[in-house]
Amino acid sequence: MSFNLQTPGILKLKKLALKNLHRLLLFYLLLWVVLFEFILPANNFLPKPSIVLLSFAALWKDYRLPVNFLITISSIYVALVAAYFLAEYLAPVIFKKNHLFSEFLFSLHWFSIYVPWIIFGIFLIYWFPASPIIEFLLLLVISFFSLIIKMKEESASVGKEYLDSAVSLGADEKTISKKIKWKAVQPKILKHSVQLHFNLWTLAIVFEFIKNGYGLGTIFRLALDYKDLSALFTVSIITGVFIYLGTLLIKYYQNKFCHWSFN
Amino acid sequence: MNTDCILEVKDVSKSFHGLAGASLTVLDKINIKIDKPSSGGIITSIVSPFNSGKTTLLKIISGIEKPSSGEVFIEGKIHNKADGTAAFVPEKPSSFPWMNVKQNIQFAIEVSKSPGKKEKANVDEMISAVGLAGYEDHFPHEKSAGFRLRISIARVLAAGTKLILLDDNFKILHGETKKEIIQLIKFLSREHGENFLFSTSNINDAVSISNKLFVMSNRPGKIIKIIDNDLSKLDESGYISSIKNEIENCFSGHDRIPSFAN
Repeated sequence: MSFNLQTPGILKLKKLALKNLHRLLLFYLLLWVVLFEFILPANNFLPKPSIVLLSFAALWKDYRLPVNFLITISSIYVALVAAYFLAEYLAPVIFKKNHLFSEFLFSLHWFSIYVPWIIFGIFLIYWFPASPIIEFLLLLVISFFSLIIKMKEESASVGKEYLDSAVSLGADEKTISKKIKWKAVQPKILKHSVQLHFNLWTLAIVFEFIKNGYGLGTIFRLALDYKDLSALFTVSIITGVFIYLGTLLIKYYQNKFCHWSFN
Repeated sequence: MNTDCILEVKDVSKSFHGLAGASLTVLDKINIKIDKPSSGGIITSIVSPFNSGKTTLLKIISGIEKPSSGEVFIEGKIHNKADGTAAFVPEKPSSFPWMNVKQNIQFAIEVSKSPGKKEKANVDEMISAVGLAGYEDHFPHEKSAGFRLRISIARVLAAGTKLILLDDNFKILHGETKKEIIQLIKFLSREHGENFLFSTSNINDAVSISNKLFVMSNRPGKIIKIIDNDLSKLDESGYISSIKNEIENCFSGHDRIPSFAN
């Protein structure tokens, strides 16, 4: 028996929340200002808004926010974009049936079903030294595997009508992989990239937090060590905003280049 | 082999084998011969009940699937590989939704290995032939099922196919759209000399479009009757019913007979 949590009521609520997202955010902001600036100025949960504003300058200078932020964000997005285009380039191999390399890649899928992906990340963190290049390579490898596993899975659902008509016109296997199968799975790959990019953010921050040398993870660690609640809060807000912007960017790309999938 | 023949299917059989060694025979020694008409093209139909192997037969003719035994000849040459010579238009809309009308047609020109394939410069010609002029930049999902079928037909025309294999494509069309597509196919056959082999379970569709009908039995499919259809007599009272009766009489009481949906 399966339970579907997406009942009409919940869906309606979700739709309403999305529609009023900006109002909702403004409401929370006001609530925070009123509650923590005026009613509970001294507490251990959230910092005062005025202190957060002041802490931004310290974050910029003392915690070296621009450099650290740039390292994290570039590792994540360059890795994701590179993995995406690498997967597209290798599509003819990945979609091939009974191909040794392709089957080997897909066999790794089995592990990802039973072992949470973050555990692989922890092992990789343990094996490799602290370096932005290593972090980038780690994120690239994880993105690539995640994308090709998704591609392989989704290739089974490519409409037979597209394949049959392409074959009957005389298309070879490589053309079918690149121009039919890849295009057919592309919307699903982009949808998957949204979830993947959340995971990459988590992994990057965990990696930097453990390695303690650079990146946003290091800022989190330092802020914790100094018990600097306002820095912790500010960097969390910045991270959240950029994850949101990243999601919007992927969705924009999906809207622009996979317009057919919304019909 | 006879080069005056557009298509010759000789003793084609097809069986599928299951994992447990079970075997299912879908086609049993099919023989079809379609001669070149003196002028224009020819529209031929294969009429049979649902699930009797029509799609499998069309796929074998196009070269997508291999027969278990027997051979297919197109214009006298053995045809055993899909290369655009006999292009298959699947039942479900198959125009690629990620390509616009022009790109769909260009794709066919790029991949076709048929000697008769059109030049890229002829894309506009194909577009107007199927009545899509002015819609070159439109995408299939923006339009109706009839529009998508027009793209699929333009695509196979551009591929330079000698025989267009239509797999029960009218099932999803209704009313005026269906009439327009039927008119288009007749026009392409008459004016452009295109040849069509149309499979259907709908006798009305087959009778209203074809010059010749091959009646196929329930599975395993076998050609049980060949009927010449005079399209000029369609308006005569009783003509369509007489053809329908002729087809119906091919099936014994317990057999599933082709539908009579309008």
